[in-house]
Amino acid sequence: MINIWRLTKLQLLSTFGLNKALHTKDAKERRKQLLVSLAIVCGVLLAAVFSFGYSYAMAAAFEQIGRLDLLLAIMMAVTSVVAFFTTVYKAGGVLFSYKDYDLLMSLPVKTSHVVASRVLQLYVLNLFFTLIVMLPAGVVYALKVRPEAYYYLLFVPLLLSIPFIPIIAATVVGALISWVSSRFRASRMINLVLTLLFVVVLILGSFTLDGNQPELADLGTGLADMIFKLYPLAELYVDAISAYRVDAFLVFTLLSVLSFAVFCTVLGTRYKAIHTGLSTSRAGRKYTMQPLKASTAFQALYRKELRRYFSSSIYVLNTGIGMVLLFIMSVALLFTSPEQLGQLADVPQLQQYLNTLAPIFVSFFVALSCTTSSSISLEGNHLWILRSSPVPKHIILLSKVAVNLTITVPVTVVSCVLLMISLGTEWLESLLLLVIPVIYACFSALTGVIVNLKLPKLEWTTEVQVVKQSAAVLVAMLLSFVSLLVPLALKFLLTGLDGKVIMLGIGVILAGLCAGMYRYLKNAGERLFLGL
Amino acid sequence: MLTIRQFSKSYKGGKKAVHNLSLTVEKGDIYGFIGHNGAGKTTTIRAVVGVLDFEEGEIEIDGISMKKDPLACKSRIAYIPDNPDLYDHLTGIQYLGFIGDLFNVSRKDRELLIAKYGGAFQLTPHLGDLISGYSHGMKQKLAIISALIHKPKLLVLDEPFVGLDPKAAHTLKTIMAEVCSEGSAIFFSTHVLDTAEKLCNKIAIIKEGRLIAGGKTEDVKGENSLEEVFMELIDHD
Repeated sequence: MINIWRLTKLQLLSTFGLNKALHTKDAKERRKQLLVSLAIVCGVLLAAVFSFGYSYAMAAAFEQIGRLDLLLAIMMAVTSVVAFFTTVYKAGGVLFSYKDYDLLMSLPVKTSHVVASRVLQLYVLNLFFTLIVMLPAGVVYALKVRPEAYYYLLFVPLLLSIPFIPIIAATVVGALISWVSSRFRASRMINLVLTLLFVVVLILGSFTLDGNQPELADLGTGLADMIFKLYPLAELYVDAISAYRVDAFLVFTLLSVLSFAVFCTVLGTRYKAIHTGLSTSRAGRKYTMQPLKASTAFQALYRKELRRYFSSSIYVLNTGIGMVLLFIMSVALLFTSPEQLGQLADVPQLQQYLNTLAPIFVSFFVALSCTTSSSISLEGNHLWILRSSPVPKHIILLSKVAVNLTITVPVTVVSCVLLMISLGTEWLESLLLLVIPVIYACFSALTGVIVNLKLPKLEWTTEVQVVKQSAAVLVAMLLSFVSLLVPLALKFLLTGLDGKVIMLGIGVILAGLCAGMYRYLKNAGERLFLGL
Repeated sequence: MLTIRQFSKSYKGGKKAVHNLSLTVEKGDIYGFIGHNGAGKTTTIRAVVGVLDFEEGEIEIDGISMKKDPLACKSRIAYIPDNPDLYDHLTGIQYLGFIGDLFNVSRKDRELLIAKYGGAFQLTPHLGDLISGYSHGMKQKLAIISALIHKPKLLVLDEPFVGLDPKAAHTLKTIMAEVCSEGSAIFFSTHVLDTAEKLCNKIAIIKEGRLIAGGKTEDVKGENSLEEVFMELIDHD
């Protein structure tokens, strides 16, 4: 067991850059790490405060129907569903794609322990989210209900158990997909397609679950039914914690621990075979010299970057899912009229809001699809090739921006045209709907590449550390979301002003910012790139 | 072809990795750069190829300052690091095409040179495979081919023989002599003193960041073997 802890500790030190922060002698680097850590702590605290406020507001509603236990149920279910969703597409990467595989597997450690350490890495990452959501909810519940001491005794161990089952379920799916993919020649592409299909099916499935909501007569029972249908273990959790049922507590804890142990043991038996299948590239036919093509440096860099993008399933899934969701929603809106949506959401003016704010709605998905914020970090050990190449470095950076635009712009334009049809927008609204998300795509791609230049993470063992957990990705996403919140806030604050004027103003400002960032890359790109 | 004048580089924290190093590599030279681990060889090489920024001293490639015009310098250099990490997601031929494009190699030249060097290193049949499936030696061969296809004026190699099988090592030595006879120059680091002694017309020995011997091979080693001179200098100088 001690080996599991040792391996997990090793990965966590690398994941959060803790070791580097603790041992670096470079004052500038230490300052940067400190600032990033401070920003993360502030972000976590802010999220915890929001979570508390949200729980408090929900508790007030549940109090009226006499079902405060539903607060814990709904928060626990949401935490688990989010843990499942966010783990399912990184599970394969964390389990099987890491650079120190050979080193770890050559150590005198059981394979099941190596698997356990990989799963625990996912567990720790999800535990943060669980704590942010469940701790404030637990405090609100305690303030409102004033429960017995048993509540506190049961709350803490159950809190630690919550992420296990969704993570194991997600890693089972991830491992199964990896296992199936490993049997094919194009294993990476199959892995990517299967994971994407699974996530899409899951999302479509969740739509049908929501559809039952209006038919439920009794709100309290209805909501409980819905939560327990969404995540049956929530019922067990609520029974244990609010009714102090020790049997439910024991079943929940045992299920969590056993599922973890069984999964690690079973996967341990097939682990090496799956890894070998995934990592072995089969030799093609004997290559014979053929006529070759020459192209410009930019085209070569663009092609290289595009191939890099599609070679990593975690990269594609993390940055492509936004575009997939946008397209699905745009198609779905063709079959649901805005009036129906307004009735469903109980917002009569929904169509008016949608028509004005649709560019921001689309831009939200564009912001989720920023590939550039991790594109420099992903160069990792290969950076020497670009640094020693006789190509102006801003060309390298712009090739990364071009790949991001290739991922976002075509899907965005098609989705916007579909939205124009479904929302019946007038000409100016249509123009804004088409132009603003495209400007946002440029803004997001340029911001991403600049942030990644400032906050590179070139030393990593798995792509997940770069694509999902690096400071550059978090900061770029935060900046994009802030830039989306500004027009939303203006729309609701400046009620007298036409929403279209606000959008027009935002479009002009963003275009100006894009031009500024382009100039910055051209002027300072060389220095920043060589300073990496 | 390569002039290093009073080059110094400090680690973060102040300790000097290389101190006041000067040397000149001329056209046709095969210049060996020798020193124990951590002596400052890789630091010097990385500065020469424009990968490492430096403040003190001057480095010129073909008369052009690396500080003032790094792109012009880089277009004249081919660099192979000690452990060439290449793009695993590309096939060998895609990688060569990529490098060819960056160095603006014509279609005709790249076809000719890839065929020539691919054949010499017996790598042509594997060029259609993904680099992720290559052995260390195959990656090293691919890196060498990629360095040669743009006909560099200066070839900078960090431990080029590591990972190569005896036949490939022999091929590389032959090619090194060939490119230098055509007017290019080679600056390379190695721990294989026998090879350096036979191959290089000039040698520099570096210890703790300082150049302790340099010049024509026969002048540096005198009547002794290079190994004896190296041991003597490292142990007692």
